[in-house]
This record gives sequence, structure tokens and C-alpha cells, in this order.
Amino acid sequence: MTEETILELSDLSIRFGNQQVLNQVNLKVKRGEIIGYIGPNGAGKSTTVKIILGLLANYHGNVYVFGDNIRDNPVDYKRKIGYVPENGEIYDDLTASEYIQFIGQMYGMDQAEIELKLDALLAKFELTKVKQTKISSFSKGMKQKLLMIASLIHNPDLLFFDEPLSGLDANSVMIIKEMMDQLARAGKTIFYSSHIMDVVEKISDRIVILNQGEIIADGAFTDLQAQNKEGTLEQIFNQLTGFDQHEQTAAEIVGIIQGAD
Amino acid sequence: MNQSFSLKILDRFAGLFRLFGVDYSKLRLIVGFKLTMDKRRVPTIIGNQAQKKEPIITPFVTSLLLYAFLGLLLIPFLFFAEEFYFSLAIAFTIVMFILMTSMISDFSSVLLDVRDKVVLATKPLDKRTISVAKFVHVVIYMTQLAGALLLIPFVVASFFHGLLFSVILLVTLILISLFCIVVTALFYMVILKFFDGEKLRNLINYVQIFLSVTLVFVYQFIGRSIGLIGVSLEFPIEWWQLLLPPFWFSAVFDILLNKNTNQFLIIAASLAVIVPIVSLLIYFKAMPAFEQNLAKLLNASTAKKEKKQWFTRKIAKWISRDQQERAVFDFARVMLSQEREFKLKVYPALGISIALPLFMITMMFIDGYGVNPEIDYLYGYFSLLAIPTIVYMLKYSAKANGAYLYQVLPVQERSIFYRATLKAFMMQLFVPVLVILMLIYLFLIGPIVLLHFSIILLIGCILTPISYRMMNNGRYPFNESFSLVESANTTIIFGMMFVIGGLAFVHYLISTLPYLIYLYLPLLLVVNHFIWKKIFPTR
Repeated sequence: MTEETILELSDLSIRFGNQQVLNQVNLKVKRGEIIGYIGPNGAGKSTTVKIILGLLANYHGNVYVFGDNIRDNPVDYKRKIGYVPENGEIYDDLTASEYIQFIGQMYGMDQAEIELKLDALLAKFELTKVKQTKISSFSKGMKQKLLMIASLIHNPDLLFFDEPLSGLDANSVMIIKEMMDQLARAGKTIFYSSHIMDVVEKISDRIVILNQGEIIADGAFTDLQAQNKEGTLEQIFNQLTGFDQHEQTAAEIVGIIQGAD
Repeated sequence: MNQSFSLKILDRFAGLFRLFGVDYSKLRLIVGFKLTMDKRRVPTIIGNQAQKKEPIITPFVTSLLLYAFLGLLLIPFLFFAEEFYFSLAIAFTIVMFILMTSMISDFSSVLLDVRDKVVLATKPLDKRTISVAKFVHVVIYMTQLAGALLLIPFVVASFFHGLLFSVILLVTLILISLFCIVVTALFYMVILKFFDGEKLRNLINYVQIFLSVTLVFVYQFIGRSIGLIGVSLEFPIEWWQLLLPPFWFSAVFDILLNKNTNQFLIIAASLAVIVPIVSLLIYFKAMPAFEQNLAKLLNASTAKKEKKQWFTRKIAKWISRDQQERAVFDFARVMLSQEREFKLKVYPALGISIALPLFMITMMFIDGYGVNPEIDYLYGYFSLLAIPTIVYMLKYSAKANGAYLYQVLPVQERSIFYRATLKAFMMQLFVPVLVILMLIYLFLIGPIVLLHFSIILLIGCILTPISYRMMNNGRYPFNESFSLVESANTTIIFGMMFVIGGLAFVHYLISTLPYLIYLYLPLLLVVNHFIWKKIFPTR
């Protein structure tokens, strides 16, 4: 496989008010990689993704997607990007079929092609019955599956998944994990954010840990293990983000719950 | 699917859009889907069923009929052949008021839809196409609305004043509509620039409430406006009129039709053309920045300052002895004052129950009757009319899913949930309304009002649990989704209206006899106690 750089962040910084959310982030992602992008709440993960997708403009530094600076050409690169948003924002007054038709056409596909792909995908995700149902009546898992379909319908080369497994049952989780693996082998690049460490540990080729707007670790899981003494990703994560007091904090919480005896 | 009439018209302008560098096929796609969603905006009861049938009389069509009716109000102002400047200014004021308030109340969701950001901005679309699509969507809506409002007056006026008049009127109305859209949008831009989204949402909520109250009075006014026609209109032209947009537009008519060449009129008329166009340019310039600020709506709002609540705490303590009940009381109070959708459904009824008595009294003064201390306090009974409707609404909430709490909590006496909610309704909504009315009447009539209003208050206290018993018996408050609102049980509400009327009559009879009223008050106290005990028995 060629060592083609799909995504590059160079000196990426952004401030919200007087808070430095991202500080000089540098990252190069190659074709076919699955990047596990993790960090504590508020570390700047979603902000990074929002900048790459063009949702935030007032950043410093540069973002290159497929080799082009997104500042120079803010539209075309999006044709080959798929995105599963964190909070499941979706036009839920539409039916499943209408929504995917809309998204697919926005990516320039024609209606018949979308219909064909959609039917097949809905069948695989066991959503065929709700094809003509309003999304507002969907369960969390169904909505998540639909967002997954919406992000893949146009066969993108670069995927952003923000907690894609939330609300899914164990069987669907296995399908999605396997699917990501096979997509990566087919040359797709996946940028994956999650708080579930065991999943990130298993599926990522490369793990990037963000803390307080800075990258504090970057490498394959085995590299991280070699650099740190701890065993699991969860432990490494705790260690790197400077959090070693979970036992003590938990003990204090239990103490508070039981009342001062 | 996306072959609606509006889109066909839009297709005629495809070339124009392309000229401005807009991706027309994408624009059409976005607008088409937005229109589909609009049709569904008001949720129907059939939530889960296949959405194949779409009723012809959608809520939107109903509201268009309502606007058409409002449009009749304009007709009287279109007949003053020589006095365009003044009479049309009044007409345009009304038009602008209706267009802008309905822009804010019905269409804020389009301008402020945050999902647009995530769904559209991540797609291969340039910013211009997105902003133009939004604008086109608003314009389509506005055209329908303005069309419904203005079609009849337009036809009537053209008939009376001839072709030239109707051409000028058409152009002016287009400029006015444009002006309203852009000014509303710019207003949002300014608010979002300086405040957070939470403030803006609250503001919109209040405008919506204000609009529904105003509409009631507009109805009242329709009858009276006809009486205005006889009045002679001597109206000098003054410089300050330049500050009022309706005068700009009416000046155009005076210049073109009456050949009036007053300097001020010419300035005003040029403003009528220049300002809408300039503000439209500003709008498109400012749109990208606005989209950036829209991100604020996505973020959680800043934490509220904790208020000192010793006063409400005291009241809560006084009202409910039981601690659990007190907790429900506090909870219900917050729900009543915070939940936007609930406020939108309920506050107009409340506003009307204050405004209607005041309106009656004002009209009395205008007609030269003055106050009648023997009868006028009876208008206070209007405030009771809101009770059945609001009590009925108490079982709804926009976030009805949270209601599993009631089942989960270890509460012995299930009736406390409703008892406390009703008490919270009285404290939070009913009593303030009554107190405001009382203060006004106190000023107009004198201290005897205190006695009368105590009686009205007690009757309200008695009617509240009765309304609950008749309409929501045994259901939990804030327990059902607004999308399932059945139209309130009209027979019961009408029945209650007659009961309230009857009680007002009884009140009046008693007050004509000496001393009896001093017995009536304690009697009501006893009845009140008995009713609450009966409907919410304590074990």
C-alpha cells in the first residue's frame, strides 16, 4: 500500500474566548489507518473533528485533507468524507428513506443508485421495516445505525466516527467493528473517537491521546505499551492524563454517599 | 416528491441563481426537503405510522386562512384616495407588525436550526449555496404568508384606485416583505453576537406569547376600526416620520399618485427603496459570521446564577407541610416557569386573562362610561377562565420521557404529585395574575376590591382541583408528550365557563344585599378546605 498522507494537521490551534482548546496540534494520517483519537472530556477531540469538517473557521494553523489545504478549497474535499456526529444531529421529521435520499443527493449520487444501496444496507442493518418511518420515533440504536448508513452511502475515503457504537447492541457492535477493519483494508481511513478504551485498543492501528488541547501520545498500542509501564490502554490513558487517584476519589464518593459515620 | 408548486416557480429563476454562483441543483434539493419537513413540523397524533397521507388542511393552511382573515382589517385604510401618506402608513404598520412577529414566532426554527450546521456544512456545498437556500426557504414561506394576508386587500384596492396604484402597491409590498425578513435576521445576528443562544430562545418564546395575546386584541379591533373611517385625517408631514419605516413606503404613493414633491417625502421614498436593498446586501455579507455564531446554540448555556429563594421557600413551607410534597411543589414551579413549550401553550391564555378585563375597562372609558364600582370588579372573573385550560395542560411536557420518575420514587401517597403541581400552578401563575388585576382595580375602585378579589381567589382555589378531577383525574403531571395533545375537552371547558359566569352572578347578587358578603367569604373557605380534602384524601 502506498504511504499516501490523507489528513494532515499542522500547528492547529483554536481558542474559545480565553480558553485555549487546541494548542499546536500536529498530526499526519496515512491511507488505510484507523486512528483512535481519545482524550478526557473537554480535551478538544470534537473540536478537532469540527475544524477538519469545516464547522469551525476561526482556527490557526493548517488542515490538509487529501493533500489540499481546506482553507483554499473548502468544498470539494467533503465529497469523499463521511461523518457520524457525536450528538446524533439529524432531521428527524424526515423518514429514514427520505433522509438518506437527501444526504446521498447532496453528495451528488442519483436517486436510483441511492435507493438500490439503501435497500441493501437497511436489510443488513435490520432496518427494512422502518424505511418509511419518521426518524423521530427511532430508538437510539436505530438512529445510530441510520447515521452510519448516511455516513457511508457515498463510499467515502475518509471517515469520522464520533462514539459510533453508542446505543448499539452487542451484535451490531461486532458488525461495525469488523466493518471498520475491512474498510481500512480496502484503503479507507478512519478517524475514530470514543471513550470506550477496550474498543479503541482493539480496533485502532494507531492511538492518539489528546489532553488539554495537546497531543501527549501517538503510536500503535504496542508502542504505547513499550513506552509506559502499565498494561491496558485504560491504564496508560490514566497514567498519561495524569490521573492516578481513581481509587481515592471513588473511596471519597462512597464515603459521601454513606454519610459521615 | 419534490415537485411542489413553489419549486416549479423556483425553477424559473434557476438561471438567476446560477448567475450569482449558486449550485442550483443542490439549492433545489435543500429547499425541497425543507419544505417537506415544514409540512410535518406540527406533529400529528399518528406518530409511528407510515407517513404516506398528508392532510390537505395542514396546520399551516389553517394559519394561512387566519392571516387572510386578518388581512380584511387592512381594507378600511385603503380607501382614503387623497391621504395615501397617512392611511397607508397605518396599513403598512399593521402589515409589518404581522409579518415580523410571525417571522419570529413561526420561522425562527429555520434561521436557527443547528442541525443545518452538522448535516449541511459537512457536505460538499459552498457557503453561499447554503445561505441562499436558507433565504429562499424563508422567502417562500413569507410569500405564502404575505399572499394570504394581502391578496384580498390588494384586489379591493386595485379595483378602487386603478392599475398604477396596484403596480406601486405590489412593488412596495415586495420591498416591505424583504425588509421584514432581513430586519428579523439582522436582529438575530445582533442578539447572537452579544448573547448566548439561551437568551435568544427565551426572547423568541416571549415574542410568540406576545403575538398570540396581540392577535386576540386585533380581533377585537376589527369591529372598532370600521368606526374610525368617519374621522377626518389632518396629518402634517414632520421630520420624525423619517424614522418610521411605514412612512417611507407610504410616501412613495403620495409622490407618484398625488404628485406631491415635498422634500421630506422624497427622502422618505428613497429610503423605502434604498434601505431594503442595502440591508439585503448586509444580510448576505453577515451571513457567514452569523453561521459561526450559530455554533453558540449548540453549546450548553452558561450556568444560571443561583437566586436567593428564601421567599418562595417560605411560601412552599406554608403551602405544603409534607416534605415530599414540598419537593414536588418546587419541581413543578420550576417546570411551569422554565419549560418553553409549556409556556408557549399556556402563557397566552394567561396573558389574555389579564388583558381581557383591562381591555373591557379601557373600552368603557373610551366610550365614556367610566368605572362602575358595583359591577366592574366582576371582570376579575375573566381570570378564572384560564384555569380549566391550564390545569388541563399540566399533564403535558415536551420532555415527557422524564416522567418515569414518578413510578420510580418511593412515594406512598401518589396524590401529592398532582396536589403539589396544582398548588404550584396557583402560586406561580394564577395568584400573580389576580394580584396584578387587583392592584389595578384597587386604584380604580378602592379598598372594597380587596374583599371581592379574596372571594375570586377562593373560587379559583376551589375550581382548580375540580377542573383537575374532571379532566386529568389520576394522571401524573408533565407526563404526556405535547405531540399527543388531544384538543382540550371542549364540553368540560365550556361547562366551566358557564359555571364561572354563574358564580360571578351569585357574587353580584350577594354583594347587593347587606352583610351577606361577609358570610360568603368564610363559607367559601370551608368549601375550599372540604374540596381539597375530598379530591386529594390523605391517609
